[in-house]
Amino acid sequence: MKVAENIIESIAVIEVEGNIDSKTAPEFEKAAISAIKGQGQVIIDLSKVEFLSSAGLRVLLMIYRQIKSQSGKVVLVGVSEDIQDVMSNTGFINFFIIVNTLEEAVETLKKG
Amino acid sequence: MELKTFPATIDSLDAIRQYVKEKSQEAGVDKKATYNLLVAVDEIATNIILYGYQNTGLEGNIDVFSEATPTQFKVIFEDDATPFDPTTRELPDEEDFNLPLEERPIGGLGIYLTITGVSDFSYEYKNNRNRNIFVVDIKSP
Repeated sequence: MKVAENIIESIAVIEVEGNIDSKTAPEFEKAAISAIKGQGQVIIDLSKVEFLSSAGLRVLLMIYRQIKSQSGKVVLVGVSEDIQDVMSNTGFINFFIIVNTLEEAVETLKKG
Repeated sequence: MELKTFPATIDSLDAIRQYVKEKSQEAGVDKKATYNLLVAVDEIATNIILYGYQNTGLEGNIDVFSEATPTQFKVIFEDDATPFDPTTRELPDEEDFNLPLEERPIGGLGIYLTITGVSDFSYEYKNNRNRNIFVVDIKSP
């Protein structure tokens, strides 16, 4: 798994590539904590993520709680159908805005 | 039954998923059911590796058995760690899933995904070994 942190139009963007499981989730969490520090809005690009375990869901939950405490928003990009199904079964899906592209994500957050 | 053995370390998770994926596809399990099976085996493999071995300082293996019939694909994990029945974990219920995410208890999520990810999940302790058994019913195309 690889994690890249970027800023696009002053929004924190975390791009993950690979599988998020118990081995890699700590690295995802570490990168996410540093990327969302002081940020009210965050985009997490999961377009290149094939597999997400409950360890990955826990990191998403941590990000959501951090951002929510600052009344911000979390937008997920390119979540595969398989992962969306797991998020839906566990009630996670309703808390995130899910869009197909990074451009849509930026637009969504710009609109406020 | 076919058998492949993996060291019970966190580095094996990828390889275990990859192996089960290949066998599942060979057995004719569809893409979605295969993904859900991978979520289930990943959760249980993680438990065995972290709580059965790593955190207790033990070294060992996970034996991954698989068997396919025209209607069913079965995966069995066997290990020699301390007996642990994952089905005794308390599961989150409907009420938990309706709670706002910030109030949500997070324990039991993995075992919930395991049980809901396959047609049948069971555990037994036999011949001094933990046996975690995953069954996926194969839908005829």
